[in-house]
Amino acid sequence: MMKRLSTIFASLFIAAVAPLAMMADDAAPAATADTEVAVENTAAAEHHEAEEDFKPKDIIFEHLGDGYGWEVPFNHHKRIPLPIIVWASDGLHVFSSSRVAHGATYRDGDIEFKIPQEGDYKGKLVEIKPDGSVEKPLDFSITKNVLAIFFTVIIVILCVMPLGKWYRQKGYVAARGFKGALEALYEFIYVSLIKATLKEQARRFAPYLLTVFMFIFVANLMGLVVVFPGGANLTGNIAITLVLALITFFITNIFGTKHYWKEILWPDVPLWLKFPLPIMPVIEIFGMFTKPAALTVRLFANMMGGHIIVISLTLIIFIFAKMGVAALSGATVVSMIFQIFMLLIDVLVSFIQAYVFTMLSTIFISLAQEHGHEEHEKHKEAAPAALSETAK
Amino acid sequence: MELFTPDFGLVFWMFVAFAILFLLLWKKGWPAIMDMIDKRADLIDKGVEYAQQAKDQLDKAQQSAEQIIADARHRQADILREADHMKDQIVEQARQEARTAAQKEIESARIAIAQERKEAEKQFRDQVSLFALDIASKVTRKDLSNDSAQSQLVTNLLDEIENKN
Repeated sequence: MMKRLSTIFASLFIAAVAPLAMMADDAAPAATADTEVAVENTAAAEHHEAEEDFKPKDIIFEHLGDGYGWEVPFNHHKRIPLPIIVWASDGLHVFSSSRVAHGATYRDGDIEFKIPQEGDYKGKLVEIKPDGSVEKPLDFSITKNVLAIFFTVIIVILCVMPLGKWYRQKGYVAARGFKGALEALYEFIYVSLIKATLKEQARRFAPYLLTVFMFIFVANLMGLVVVFPGGANLTGNIAITLVLALITFFITNIFGTKHYWKEILWPDVPLWLKFPLPIMPVIEIFGMFTKPAALTVRLFANMMGGHIIVISLTLIIFIFAKMGVAALSGATVVSMIFQIFMLLIDVLVSFIQAYVFTMLSTIFISLAQEHGHEEHEKHKEAAPAALSETAK
Repeated sequence: MELFTPDFGLVFWMFVAFAILFLLLWKKGWPAIMDMIDKRADLIDKGVEYAQQAKDQLDKAQQSAEQIIADARHRQADILREADHMKDQIVEQARQEARTAAQKEIESARIAIAQERKEAEKQFRDQVSLFALDIASKVTRKDLSNDSAQSQLVTNLLDEIENKN
């Protein structure tokens, strides 16, 4: 153990010292020996430093946000151009994002497009009307995050389909290797989470819940891979978590039982709590919508937080770079140790967040699957039940 | 605030991509895996139950086998005892038979001896009477005046006969 630790520290030290040797008068190349984690942002920093304009906040938000291109590994200037698909005021336009890169204006037909660097529409494609005003068209572009969604979907399919095929063909023969490891994961989610919560209803909802779990888990892990095709802050984007939470919301309510709706609209509480002023129904209906909101925000905030911490730790190096060689090397070592620590925690968090989202979805769905058989018991002990309901 | 406003395009693509992913896995991916997980769990449960039953049966079989062996031993002992008994009986019977046979033999021997003896006695008597007659004739032939001489004569004659025999 000690030997391994010392090896890690030695490599960290080399990582910190090697750039010092190469350093002439500029601090920026220090990052060339940095780990992959830092590379992207190193490049970003390089770019900004060259312009004598180092804004950590911009770098962080640029990383967290979406984009019309995808950074080429180890180079911040070049981006992989992605298709822009917009429904502008005169119809559909499809063109490459390289045409509007670096704030350039592109004329397609009668309409000019541009990505403003400042203002309300910063970083978003806008159409410039003949009178000079700008408007945001309906934007279906394959952005960085959309492409990341596609990659995630493909990886999830590649993780699930071969195992299904294996079992269709081989019957009871247990899968080995990577397939076996994935099966252990699926079994963990399916048996100890979905089946344990939903009981006999498990088969109905398990496909959705397993898909959600795998999607979030793969997306989270892909977000930790820094270079293309990873590095997109997918689950840290509110649009993604919103869609997932809304699907859970609709499944919960569409498949909700009569008992579930009764509990919302006419709960087992003293009459004055629901008539003439429907206090409890209003609270219950409000609760219906806070559930998906909580799902949306907690996944989004957790994953975004993880990304912000790692980027911030990387940026510490560049902040200290201006203070001289000693500060830089010290900051590099400390930053590297913390980054590795944070990334390892993020691997754990990737799993935990996917698990928690799946667990909460399972619980919300199972709460809407309750049947009246508990109602009779409630009636027997009507008074304490009503009290506890009110207390809630 | 850009971070907190969901982008329409992203929501659209996310929904489309996730719907495709879900439909594909729902129809083609998960059922086989879930089936197998359920079936395997069942199989393992049944296997455990079966093993339990098999163990019980084995225990029972072992018990009955032991019972059978004990029974057989018992019977063996019985048979041996019976055989011993029978042997004794047979020997006793044989001995009895031998004894009676010997008795008969002895009886017949005794009868034969008695007959022989009678015959011998009869012969002896005949002989004696012959000798007596002979002696008597000789006595009468000699002078019957002397008593002592007469008894001497008889004695001599008897000695003669004895020596002859």
